[in-house]
Amino acid sequence: MSSFLSSICRNINLIAFTRNPIGQFTPCSAMPDWLVFFLVKPEDTGSYNLIEAFPYLSCFIEDAEQHWQAKCAEPLSSGVWIEIDELEHELPLEASVMYLDGQEVLLLQQLGEKYTQDLSRLQQVRNGLLTQEMLESEVKRRTLEIRKREEEIAIKLVSLTSLRDEETGAHVRRIGLYAAVMAKALGWSSEAIDTIRVAAPMHDIGKIGIPDRVLRKTGVLNDEEFNVMKKHTEIGANMLRGTKIPVLAMAVDIALNHHERWDGTGYPQGLAGEKIPISARITTIVDIYDALVHERVYKKAMPEDEALGLMQDMAGRHLDPHLMAVFLSLLPAMRRIRLEVTEENEERSDLEETEEVCV
Amino acid sequence: MLQKKICLLGAFSVGKTSLIQRYVNKLFSDKYLTTVGVKIDKKQVTVGSTDLTLIVWDIAGEDDFTSIRSAHLRGLSGYIVVIDGTRKNSFDVALALHKRIKTELGDVAAVFALNKADLKAQWVINHEHIHALAQLSYPVIETSAKLDQGVEDLFMGLARQLVPENSEV
Repeated sequence: MSSFLSSICRNINLIAFTRNPIGQFTPCSAMPDWLVFFLVKPEDTGSYNLIEAFPYLSCFIEDAEQHWQAKCAEPLSSGVWIEIDELEHELPLEASVMYLDGQEVLLLQQLGEKYTQDLSRLQQVRNGLLTQEMLESEVKRRTLEIRKREEEIAIKLVSLTSLRDEETGAHVRRIGLYAAVMAKALGWSSEAIDTIRVAAPMHDIGKIGIPDRVLRKTGVLNDEEFNVMKKHTEIGANMLRGTKIPVLAMAVDIALNHHERWDGTGYPQGLAGEKIPISARITTIVDIYDALVHERVYKKAMPEDEALGLMQDMAGRHLDPHLMAVFLSLLPAMRRIRLEVTEENEERSDLEETEEVCV
Repeated sequence: MLQKKICLLGAFSVGKTSLIQRYVNKLFSDKYLTTVGVKIDKKQVTVGSTDLTLIVWDIAGEDDFTSIRSAHLRGLSGYIVVIDGTRKNSFDVALALHKRIKTELGDVAAVFALNKADLKAQWVINHEHIHALAQLSYPVIETSAKLDQGVEDLFMGLARQLVPENSEV
């Protein structure tokens, strides 16, 4: 190699080798100082075993062989690896192979400043990514915290009505969980799923405005009493209306419309079909299921198959038939909620633990 | 002496280099210095009556700009997938890497490291995530390179899988 080319190689910290038939590498440019430490002094052949000197090359040599066999003149790079030199400094190295003038050539370069610049650039990018991840995680944590508070407030609100009627805390909680399972199966966003989980339990909140003589009457309601009872939908909606909180906006829809019927014979507005908000149609189904399969002071629990038979009869008249089919396909999940979220379990575990099990 | 190549894999900044530094050199630095390329270290261990040299490959972490070269996995006997307990993203990357290696290399000895146990109050990796890892039937070890917690167990947990059973006493 001419002294001119040798100077260039020295200046860019590069050394060229050719590979001999026994797989050893013979330098064809001057040996740079940084390399001496790594290479065992050659025997009479004047060649070196680079794979032994640099174990990293063991993973590259297979690709290099293929490249040489294909007689490719374009360089194939090994990727960067780091060695520790005699001063215990990190030395970034990269090898490239090519086939030139009938020779299998390997170039070995100490990347020096170029590596430092690449490293610094990547470090900045990764620091930025870490900050971004941290901020996203913080936003998620705080959003969860807000959701949890919203849920707590909703449950507290609902508990006001349960002081006056027979519904239990576990019932209202189950309603939210069933509704969330339905919403998930319908492909709702995770935000909307969270919203219905909190909003659905508030469906009967308007009962707080119904007088005791009607609300706590044990016998059948007469027409006048039933008309009073029907008012709980509008009372609930009015209680929840007037905020910009998404969960309360959905809760208004549910409270107002959960007694509407698919065939338009429900109340308070006589809405039919898909004019009834889907959140309310979902809540109607899960509320009826839960009420039927649980015991109340005024009735025994209905066996589940009987309850489902009854509900299937209601599909298309009272209940949205499509949503009813979705509900039936989710029965195993609904059963888990029914069996896990009981009054006893509620007393034992906090709300968060229960949520993890069920949703 | 028996030599086995092992790799530490995972998202960037999960602590792969720190775990190796702690294990091989008994050192730790709080400063995050990203790894570019590959660093190779050696550590001699004894499993039962077998002396073993672990050739530890520290491979640059995965991100949108860097992915692991298949060539780096050649001759791999086992790997440690490192997860930063404070970063959910590192859990997803770990599962993706594990899946990739299973596809490319088949069944290879592995251990999952749940790193940064010193920051446990800030962990977002919960029981559900850990349960999902345990389902993969590989050891899952909590580690902290900073506190030197679980580091020896981590590497020895992998080394034990690399030595034939009848060589252990």
